[in-house]
Amino acid sequence: MGDLTMSPATDDGLDAATIEVVRNYMTSAATEMQRTLTRTAYNTIIYEIFDFGLSLYDAEARLVADAPGLSLFLGGNDYALRKGLEHIGEENLDPGDIVLLNYPYWNAAHTLDVCIFAPVHLDDELIGYAASRAHWLDLGAKDAGYVLDSTDMHQEGLVFPGTKVYKGGEPDEEILELIRFNSRIPDKVIGDLHAQVAAIQTGGERLREIHRKYGSATVNAAIDHIIAHGESTTKEGLEALSDGTWSAVDYLDNDGVSDDLVPMAVEVTIDGDHIHFDFSESADETDGPMNVPLGRTQAMCKFVVKTLTNPSRTTNEGHYRPVDLHAPEGTLFNARYPAPTYTLWASTLGVDVIYKALAKGMPALIPSSTGGDINSIMLHSTDPASGRRYVEASNEGVGWGATDERDGPNALMHYVQTMVRNIPLEVFENKAPVRFDRLELRQDSGGAGRYRGGLGIRRDYRLVGETNVLSINKKTRTPGWGQFGGAPGAKNVVVLDVDDDWQARVQLIADNTDEHPDDGLLYVGMMRGAFRPDEVVSNRSGGGGGYGDPFARPPDAVLEDVIDGYVSIEAARTEYGVAIDGTTIDREETDRLRDA
Amino acid sequence: MTSSHHLAVDIGGTFVDSVTFDRESGELAVEKASTTPADPTAGVVNAIEKLGLDLADASSFVHGTTLGINALLEREGARTGIITNEGFRDIYEIGRTNLKRDSMYDIRYNKPELLVPRRRRYGVGGRLDAKGNEVEPLDEDAVRDAARELVDEWDCEAIAVCFLHSYQNDEHERRAGEIIREEVPGVSLSLSSEITREYREYERTSTAVLDAYIKPIFDNYVEQLDDTVRDEGFDGSFFITRSGGGALTAESATTAPVHTILSGPAGGLIGASFVGDIIGRENLIAVDFGGTSMDACVIEDGAPAVEYESALEELPMMIPVFDIRTIGAGGGSIGWLDGNLLKVGPQSAGADPGPICYGHGGSEPTITDAALALGFMDPDQFLGGEMDLDADAALSGIETKLADELGQSIEEVSRGMFDVALANTVGAIREITVEKGLDPRDFTMVAYGGAGPMFVPLVARELGVGEVLVPQAPSVFSAWGMLMSDIVYDESQTYISVLEDVDHDEFERRFTELEEELTEQLSVEGFADETQSLERYVEMRYLGQEHTVSVPGQDLADLDELGERFEAKHESRYGHTMDDPPQVVHLRVRGIGETDKPTLEKATADGAGEPVGVRNAYDFAAGEMTDFDVYKRGSLAAGQTIEGPAIVFEPTTTIVFHSDQTAEVDDYGHLLIQGGV
Repeated sequence: MGDLTMSPATDDGLDAATIEVVRNYMTSAATEMQRTLTRTAYNTIIYEIFDFGLSLYDAEARLVADAPGLSLFLGGNDYALRKGLEHIGEENLDPGDIVLLNYPYWNAAHTLDVCIFAPVHLDDELIGYAASRAHWLDLGAKDAGYVLDSTDMHQEGLVFPGTKVYKGGEPDEEILELIRFNSRIPDKVIGDLHAQVAAIQTGGERLREIHRKYGSATVNAAIDHIIAHGESTTKEGLEALSDGTWSAVDYLDNDGVSDDLVPMAVEVTIDGDHIHFDFSESADETDGPMNVPLGRTQAMCKFVVKTLTNPSRTTNEGHYRPVDLHAPEGTLFNARYPAPTYTLWASTLGVDVIYKALAKGMPALIPSSTGGDINSIMLHSTDPASGRRYVEASNEGVGWGATDERDGPNALMHYVQTMVRNIPLEVFENKAPVRFDRLELRQDSGGAGRYRGGLGIRRDYRLVGETNVLSINKKTRTPGWGQFGGAPGAKNVVVLDVDDDWQARVQLIADNTDEHPDDGLLYVGMMRGAFRPDEVVSNRSGGGGGYGDPFARPPDAVLEDVIDGYVSIEAARTEYGVAIDGTTIDREETDRLRDA
Repeated sequence: MTSSHHLAVDIGGTFVDSVTFDRESGELAVEKASTTPADPTAGVVNAIEKLGLDLADASSFVHGTTLGINALLEREGARTGIITNEGFRDIYEIGRTNLKRDSMYDIRYNKPELLVPRRRRYGVGGRLDAKGNEVEPLDEDAVRDAARELVDEWDCEAIAVCFLHSYQNDEHERRAGEIIREEVPGVSLSLSSEITREYREYERTSTAVLDAYIKPIFDNYVEQLDDTVRDEGFDGSFFITRSGGGALTAESATTAPVHTILSGPAGGLIGASFVGDIIGRENLIAVDFGGTSMDACVIEDGAPAVEYESALEELPMMIPVFDIRTIGAGGGSIGWLDGNLLKVGPQSAGADPGPICYGHGGSEPTITDAALALGFMDPDQFLGGEMDLDADAALSGIETKLADELGQSIEEVSRGMFDVALANTVGAIREITVEKGLDPRDFTMVAYGGAGPMFVPLVARELGVGEVLVPQAPSVFSAWGMLMSDIVYDESQTYISVLEDVDHDEFERRFTELEEELTEQLSVEGFADETQSLERYVEMRYLGQEHTVSVPGQDLADLDELGERFEAKHESRYGHTMDDPPQVVHLRVRGIGETDKPTLEKATADGAGEPVGVRNAYDFAAGEMTDFDVYKRGSLAAGQTIEGPAIVFEPTTTIVFHSDQTAEVDDYGHLLIQGGV
């Protein structure tokens, strides 16, 4: 138990209300930074997909408040800020300086997630830092759009190791020019840079306001309390969990370059109020761009700890004190220069592996697996009528896992990007040459169990014009997991109904067709190609895992699922041992099936 | 017989407020009765009876009701089914797949219960493309079978119909509606295209479902209330307030009751705009600080901010609603400890058990208890003396629950509770102003609701807002505002085209069509031409963006001018313009029928009210307990100036301002609190 919660009266004369007011102020400042960024950003990925993270620090670079857009960007700036300060040297930062950093191994992200940070001064005194991270559209990587198969960092775009883009409040035009000449979309990239600078300036101004209002001594003392509170709530949260060591492994379909499964392995140890993550058993660095820089691996761990201990509190440095991790240099979760890191996919799927390990020790707290991926389909080409380029993509929800007390919810975005929305059919059909044949829940995709896993979805894109299609799915070959006899949900898969000459046009990066019935369709994971009218791309997302023995599910609940079509009559019989005739249960036959 | 009275009745969670204004005498009367959830009509009738008004004397009756939202919150609406396109029956369940922000780290999140389970969602053949062209004809037999099954098999009382791209072409929906009416005549029907002509199938479906879900209950209620008041001799016009501004006739309200679902706070905003207009303040922040929540809305250039995408219980609605920020901070908000942090709300003691000082069994210290401890309230004068407050219990509750734990005095903790609640409120208001590029210091705040006049002057000090307006009868201001409603209808049409490809004739034709619908509606309701007005808006964005900005579309010389207006609007809202081509997304028209409203008469100054006493209370400006002059509001006279610190009592609320603030009574009896910046 943390000492501070035992002795609420503070010894430095600060009252509880002042601490809370300072905390609230910092949190609302981070939120305001976020609003400034989304209000002024030029690229839709920032304000539609929330691909950003904002944070505020004290003068010792301790996180005081943050406002992530993607859940997984939690604390991602912390690592970048420290590495950036190490590189430049704190003593070399003057008021009005603003620093650009996207060197992947220091930045906790790939080259396009650019971190911009600045010291905040009040009357020449350093009082903190403000940082913002946002996804830029192009920095001159080898391919426009998205790179799926880079083999080293230098194919991934222009890199800044911690470079002053503003000096003493004035932009360095030479740096801006360098960016402009190295980007395929210079105006938007420069626009986004300015949006990030505006966000930082907003945060800095608010930080100065609170220091002026209460005085730095009071604010800093309040921050000590806030961080101590964060640490103690996390420790209490960890204390409440079982002690032990658990491990799990799961796989990426391949690395985008070769065709072997890529193992992601983690061992988690909870010891009292401390948690440790060890990624040593994971694959070595891959040839393709699945690798994760260490800062991002930290973010994965921070994310998991937050969901376990403080899901609804605002975040600060204290939350991460009881957390540490080990990932040997040169492995999947600690990429070294010049390993390619462009897709960072192992960090998305790796989160599920951590839960898989934890579920072994605390099954009542951890739902069974989700469908496990973000299931994205992208259409891009040039509209022949107007000559305009379009890029339209939609991610899909997956089934979430069942718990010890309820079925898993259907069709929700993956844990790491819970605020992202799918794209409406009517919007998509207005923008790209496609007419959807269906958008439905996938019957029988939820893992069977006493509590059933949530269902994945099926969205069928029927093309009505020529266009390029890309699927970004990295978990189509291995199943998720249930608990206590619950079955895994259906796997993710993309099904292609294409003309016979597809091979000249479509590249299958992960081909699973052999595993499926020979019905003339292609069953794939990642792929890209040029498609024709009337060809169909069917995106099917995975289901959540079940919890408990399916034969223990009350037959009436199975009947309800059959009436709603979540479960077929056949699956009711084979997986749940419940015989259903029309809309009634054949009790005798059910007993026979379940006793067998 | 004269019908000179205007009547308004507002149902809240705890009280029904009734207000009547006599146009001839200029007199305003207000009353409160208890809300009667089991039979809402009873509470309304009680509140009217307390006014002692002969309903034959009333020319208009404006009513704001929470019936729709309550049916939703309590899941007591109609058994509803959905008919949509084949292959798409799960659109309603899949939704947009995201979690709301405060659940973003909740791996055990579960979706709220759906209003329509999968078994009651039917897909039928038929398909339009994005231009509205028919790709596959409607399968009429399938519609017939689905309607029959929904009623026969699943006992549906209401059916919502939503087909893909019906915002472009409503033929399939209309035909399906005809078939459903023929096949199952008793069922209540909501067609998505009759409620909104905008794209995004999930949001449109959800809107139609919400409408269908509340429609039977709403119809019954309006009919019953209408019968009741007519029996009592009422022979005037009966209006219901809308979620997005103005009111509509009770009859129109029953055709699409979803438009009334968030009408609760609407009256206050209409009232605030009205008062602002009279005293020459166009930019206001209206703050309704009640028992459980604080509702704030920005009024810019005289018009409350409206949004077109909102949600209730995570169920989206595609109708215009006032853009109101609500947080759980009110008189009943509970102070509690999270380790060594002092928190206030969002839990509230509500009306039952209420704050400790009510003596109804409340044991958790609330803001109201803290207000007593700080001296802002007179325990003997609450609700005009109708209710005694137990100050000792309040103080001892604060002491044992908070002060002892924190090692602080009762006064310190009470002040701390105010500080924390203020920080929450200030954060919320910064979001609705700064977010839109607005500086709160350019605004006047309007304080109403039971706790508003005590709390808002403090909020203003924190935000640097130099002026707070306290209207007459602030605790029933929402009902009063309803008297000022115009009749408003909105029509919109999704029309997606890059601006340079827009054909001006086509653009005009589409707008004219919408306007004709509105003019016809208003004429049918008896509005003469000179009392009708129309406002055009164009929702626009840069190609590739998703979010739009609303651009005034009135008096355009040509489409180039529309482009210029868009760029100016984008620049002011986002701080920049872009090189991408501008794109038109939706056309909107608002049709307004001007009603016969009460006018405010200037009061005559006859002597200035003198203090009736002194109270020892906490002065936030000086940071210490000090003596506040105490006034009775009824005795104040126009033109009078009161130096802070002072407390002004009125029967249902207390106005407090501090030593760096001064209040002036204007010609209409409003209190304008200034300074503190």
